[in-house]
Amino acid sequence: MQPPPHPSEVEPPCRRRDRDMDFTIRAATLEDCKDISRMIAELAEYEKVSDQVKITQRDLEQDGFSKNPFFHGIIAEVPEHHRSKDGHTKVGYSLYFYTYSSWKGRAVYMEDLYVMPEFRGKGIGKALMSKVAQLGLAAGCHQLNFAVLDWNKASLEFYLSQGCWDVTADMGYHCMRCEGDALEHLAQGDP
Amino acid sequence: MNFTIRPAARTDCKDISRMIRELAVYENMQDQVKISHEELERDGFCDSPFYQSLVAEVPEDRGRAVVGYAIFYYTYRTWTGPTVYLEDLYVRPEFRGKGIGKAMMNTVAKVAKQRQCSCLHLSVLDWNQPSIDFYIAKGGRNLTATEGWQFIRFEGDAFENLVQGAPKN
Repeated sequence: MQPPPHPSEVEPPCRRRDRDMDFTIRAATLEDCKDISRMIAELAEYEKVSDQVKITQRDLEQDGFSKNPFFHGIIAEVPEHHRSKDGHTKVGYSLYFYTYSSWKGRAVYMEDLYVMPEFRGKGIGKALMSKVAQLGLAAGCHQLNFAVLDWNKASLEFYLSQGCWDVTADMGYHCMRCEGDALEHLAQGDP
Repeated sequence: MNFTIRPAARTDCKDISRMIRELAVYENMQDQVKISHEELERDGFCDSPFYQSLVAEVPEDRGRAVVGYAIFYYTYRTWTGPTVYLEDLYVRPEFRGKGIGKAMMNTVAKVAKQRQCSCLHLSVLDWNQPSIDFYIAKGGRNLTATEGWQFIRFEGDAFENLVQGAPKN
């Protein structure tokens, strides 16, 4: 089987017309990092954790567009005449990467999915998520995984309506994190 | 106990596959294992591997025996950058309590630090108290319990339906 394709290798930009809004889904490029950084900040504000964003536009450029990228990205773009009230045409994004299940094999993890508030309800979020699934399938993946905060009822309902299931609620898996001093001690082999 | 932790080789995949099944039995999910050592070899030892792996070895009468493994891969948090995800950590029951699991976890953390990762993530079943206690003792935080994160999955028909909904050329 081939290595995972880069998004730009899978298909050219494609247009959709949904509920009177033209939009394009395409692979993210280095030049998109400024808008991705802007939208990451907007998403963090929505999740009430703006003070936790430490990544800059430059970090995104290095981490996503080097020889061994940590992530891939896709962008939702609208034509100029539909630009946002602040003048933006890049109105949504998704960042994803490939993971592995020791039981099921190749999988794709969707780290972020975001559409600017004034562009919601037009199928853009669904189109972005479907594109991630399509790219994952092309890479030989059989699962699309991601995380949602339990208070984010609107997002949970959206995802469940698309046929996914809540692994935490149904199987009891809890997400654990080790960071900061704890990660330092672990790396040093402290007892 | 004398043991060695080293990067797994392609030839270790049969042993790793056997231990993956042992871990699934422990988690009461043995019917969920769908891949064999062949997929492990293909996906872990290609030009762009999907995962990294370690094995733990102990001496035995006619050489060395593999008695534990870890599978991990690099992920990304858009707020803090590169991270590492520990997919599996397993030591055969008769070799537990000797520091092998801890040594493998230390090694994963060390490798992660070298790649500028800011944190290590993993999942654990809520009834698996020995494992929860092990990770909490190492400074891990339970994000599901403390912050309300739920892990969501699309697979099977739901995954296919999602793919079908993608914008066409």
